[in-house]
Amino acid sequence: MSASRRNQVPMAVWQVLLGAVLLLGWEAGAKTGVLQPFFFSRPSDVLARVWKMVAGGGIWEHLAATVAEASLSFLIGVSGGVVFGFLLARNRFLGDLFDPYIRIVNALPRVVLAPIFLLWFGLGIWSKVALGVTVVFFIVFFNTFQGVREVDPVMVNNARMLGASERQLIRHVLIPSALTWIFSSLHISIGFAIIAVVVGEYLGSSRGIGYLISQAEGVFDTTGVFAGMAILAGVVLAVGALVDRLERYLLRWKARDSDAARGGVS
Amino acid sequence: MNGSPGGTAIRFQGVTKRFPGYTAVQNISLEAREGSFLSVVGPSGCGKSTLLNMAAGLTQPSEGAVEIFGKPLTGINASAGYMFQQDALLPWKTVRGNILLGPELRGADAGQAEQSAREWIRRTGLEGFADRYPHQLSGGMRKRVAMAQTWIVNPDIVLMDEPFGALDVHTRLRMEGEILALWAGSRKTVMFVTHDLEEAIALSDEVAVLSAGPASRLVGVYQVGLERPRNLIDIKTDPRFVEIYRSIWGDLREEVLKSYERIQA
Repeated sequence: MSASRRNQVPMAVWQVLLGAVLLLGWEAGAKTGVLQPFFFSRPSDVLARVWKMVAGGGIWEHLAATVAEASLSFLIGVSGGVVFGFLLARNRFLGDLFDPYIRIVNALPRVVLAPIFLLWFGLGIWSKVALGVTVVFFIVFFNTFQGVREVDPVMVNNARMLGASERQLIRHVLIPSALTWIFSSLHISIGFAIIAVVVGEYLGSSRGIGYLISQAEGVFDTTGVFAGMAILAGVVLAVGALVDRLERYLLRWKARDSDAARGGVS
Repeated sequence: MNGSPGGTAIRFQGVTKRFPGYTAVQNISLEAREGSFLSVVGPSGCGKSTLLNMAAGLTQPSEGAVEIFGKPLTGINASAGYMFQQDALLPWKTVRGNILLGPELRGADAGQAEQSAREWIRRTGLEGFADRYPHQLSGGMRKRVAMAQTWIVNPDIVLMDEPFGALDVHTRLRMEGEILALWAGSRKTVMFVTHDLEEAIALSDEVAVLSAGPASRLVGVYQVGLERPRNLIDIKTDPRFVEIYRSIWGDLREEVLKSYERIQA
């Protein structure tokens, strides 16, 4: 009985409820002294701080810097990853030649590159973009490589029998086939691009959300740290929703669970 | 492009195909007369598809040669269409997009291509489904799209690799009827690969039997003298059909048993 009634309440309501319970618990904990506000701050304080930063306009300069860095590293990383992925997947020789080196570079934790990039590219946005690119590039590269290598050979043969040249094969079969793989990596690579540039800002910059967080941390301002995190989470969620819509449009030909049941008639 | 009627459309001359580690087919000589329907049967894994791929130019023979209308085949066979066993439709193109693929790749006039696509959508009974994607269609309808996709470019030779293997019996019977109807008016040469002897006899003018693989040889070529048009529903109880079936099965049976033994060994 209770199970069937529970099913009638939309999941979104339960999700909001969970968030509310957690936040209220946090707030209550801070009020009663179970959680020291100095270490844990308070949701109401964090919210007030976010509001102050947004309404006061102080946040925009930093948000713009972070978004610009993340966008640039995303664009450069995706283009590089797609081009190299295609090239190395289609050319056996190049693929085999680069294989060990790509593994070596990819095995490196990117954070250790941050100081090097600071030296090479300075405190401005380009050291953060470089860090973001090293993350995005490999995610997209491996997915593109996989997507092109694993394209269904029957589809390729069918297109060739229908008269496809090598160029037409790339356009009609390989790119669309690789797109599925590339898209499945976009969510991850956008998230990682933002993480990478924030880490870059955190380690040395004069602008950006990461800079705000590190400044707040420097004066033990936990409210400021949480406010920066909240804003960052909001940005990542908003961008994720956008990618979702784009993906749903571009991959509209793909079977979704709801379609599978529909089947068809012969 | 066609020679005189009754000429040879496809000729395998002493064709052998080796893959690393094993030989698929061994010294096969076989001809498909122009405008005829030739089936190739044999136990699973006997290299039927390899033979078809060599006629398509997708694989090259290790020894021997393939001739198409009297000319040695190098590269892709441009006068052949190929219906694959597996789904070969592009999932990101609609039914119309898939049917238009051939004309588009060959640089046909867009208006004319559109018109002939409409015609093929009608002929294959796909009206109302032109804007669907393959995943929204049943197996039988996907085969119809594949059929239209292959035939719209009007190839002189149609190669088919167990195209209906994955369909249920009734859909399969309907599709076989549709293929025969399409072929009847076309004077195209068909090379049809199947493991189903009944299907082969019902559809073909000639049935070629391959021995169990690896290193399959040609066991024999049998004429099917049944008149056309054929009624595929009743033909299997026709005494002459049964007689042809018995004589071919006598030879094929041994090969099937051999391939069983090899699998169990």
